[in-house]
Amino acid sequence: MDYRKDYYAVLGIEPSADPEEIKAAYRAMARRYHPDANPSPEASTRFQEAQEAYDVLSEPGQRRAYDRLREREGLKQPPALVIKPVPSHQALPVMDEEQLLYVMVEISPSPTLQAKRLAFNLGLVVDRSTSMQGIRLQRVKDATNYIIDFLDQSDVFSLVTFNDRAEVVIPAQPQLDKTLAKSRVSTVRSSGGTEILQGLLAGLGEVDRWRSPAMVNHLILLTDGQTYGGEKECLQEAENAAQRQVSITTMGIGQDWNDKLLDEIARRSGGRSTYIDSAAKVTSVFRECVHSLATVAARGLRLAVRPADAIRLQGAFQVAPYLQSLPTREDSMPLGMINAEQVCAVVLEFLVAPQLTGRVSVASLELSADIPSVGQQSVMLRQGVEIELVPGLEAVDPVPPSIVNALGKLAIFRMQEKTMDDLDRGEIEHASQRLETMATRLLNVGENELAKAALLEAGRLARTGHLSPEGRKRIRYGTRSLSMLPKEISHD
Amino acid sequence: MIKCPSCGKRHPENTLFCDECGAYLLAEGRKRTDPLAAEEVDWMETEMGTTGLLDNPDAEPLTVRLSIPDSGRQVEFTLTKEVSLGRLDPATATFPDIDLTTDGALEKGVSRRHAKITRKGAELFLEDLGSVNGTLLNGKRLTPYLPHVLSDKDEIRVGRLLMRIHLV
Repeated sequence: MDYRKDYYAVLGIEPSADPEEIKAAYRAMARRYHPDANPSPEASTRFQEAQEAYDVLSEPGQRRAYDRLREREGLKQPPALVIKPVPSHQALPVMDEEQLLYVMVEISPSPTLQAKRLAFNLGLVVDRSTSMQGIRLQRVKDATNYIIDFLDQSDVFSLVTFNDRAEVVIPAQPQLDKTLAKSRVSTVRSSGGTEILQGLLAGLGEVDRWRSPAMVNHLILLTDGQTYGGEKECLQEAENAAQRQVSITTMGIGQDWNDKLLDEIARRSGGRSTYIDSAAKVTSVFRECVHSLATVAARGLRLAVRPADAIRLQGAFQVAPYLQSLPTREDSMPLGMINAEQVCAVVLEFLVAPQLTGRVSVASLELSADIPSVGQQSVMLRQGVEIELVPGLEAVDPVPPSIVNALGKLAIFRMQEKTMDDLDRGEIEHASQRLETMATRLLNVGENELAKAALLEAGRLARTGHLSPEGRKRIRYGTRSLSMLPKEISHD
Repeated sequence: MIKCPSCGKRHPENTLFCDECGAYLLAEGRKRTDPLAAEEVDWMETEMGTTGLLDNPDAEPLTVRLSIPDSGRQVEFTLTKEVSLGRLDPATATFPDIDLTTDGALEKGVSRRHAKITRKGAELFLEDLGSVNGTLLNGKRLTPYLPHVLSDKDEIRVGRLLMRIHLV
């Protein structure tokens, strides 16, 4: 028995759970994570944790001893995260055809969770290809110095630069000599091409040397160009990094970098990607990044959605802190990390089968996360969603405004994604029309600047057959950030 | 099934937004503007380029009168920048400059934000605001969000509500 582990959280139950609930929770975990059912290494860890928790909690004497120890050590805490599913309708009429139900799931750190700044194990990987020459590289150096000044004695920092090859400028180390570090930064010169994989490998190598569950293990990758080969390997590395609890923030500066690759690297590692449209903004983007890392409340967030019988999951989208499509086919959806005062929100689209009647379970949601500030690994919360299906129901309650609002922005974001798909398929005319319609939707939600950009690009597309690289990125990253600017939707 | 009034894509019941064109598919309760039965209309030829976003605050006021034969109402207003036409709905904070509720707007398929009349210099423009049932100018359907030049005695149809414009 290890009283420092939260066995209740491992099983996803309340500390007040009765023996029946404990048994049911354990059975559910075993069905999913038993090595016979699920060969992945993550599942086997989960299964072992569940087994250990069940062994203690199912034995009344041991459970009492465990509860006492935790109480005495002050570890008896309420759950670190709060998960709140809100369906678009509490009640729906019984129908002869399939109908849609939206469920918005809000995940936030519990108000009682103490924010604690964890030590960084931060790797910075900077592109120093010829195109970075001049003001761009200078601003990146300034921003790197900003990070160096931000570090505490216990933080580990490393700097890797790359062009066709990678070079470790500052090896990973705590108690950094800041003056020496800055002088090393000043020696970086630009030349050569861009091979992201080289930089990524060297950077992850540095982070790995000090990797610890008690630290924020993170890599920042900044580039301004298309990489020469190695894209598949980059994505594989990102996935492996996520397994080792290392997340990656990718930053693209200027217009010529590969947005799809950087987005995907960030997504797979549980980090996020950023667009830096001008060199002047590098420092503020770096600042924002390290400050958000300094207030991480939960990381490695994953949401598993298990629809009940006769219910299908049609789509899943993250709508806060930013917009992105989530994979519905994988076992669980990666949601990255959240900060102390942040809310992570997901919209799920369920298809309800015809002729379903009465109180029905829609889905069971399982949230797993790592809460570093209380030393909890893989905390788990389980929550069910139910609605009522009433024959002949006439007055359906209005959809909560928060859901309508989120969906409105999501609709614009999805048009953007479809526009990019149209372009990939070479359907120029389609893409141009879609952009135009998107511009009108943007006007409706008061996003005039973005609307103008979309309109401009629609015109350019119709005339020349392609988007400007700058416009493409502005639209992609602009629509993705829609959720961060809460504005009233004016719908018709 | 719901059919998107804007692009025609079909969606399951209760879908709120069309994922194809982003249109809002459902207004709450019975206040929603229902699509009217389709009529054969020609689409008006338009040129690219929008002027609706620009306005001229220095312009001299211009007096315009709208007559609505069905209700016998005449609305007179001065136009400096723009006026919006639609259906008042406090629930969604929609307050059009010219509220057509008393002219039977709901039954005639007028949207809450239906159309607007804008002015640039001495010229007047009519622009449909992506309404459910569209706006017709002298019998031709307007492309949403593109302003069209308005002249004296022009016939405007918002949804099925007919009106005529007079420059005073």
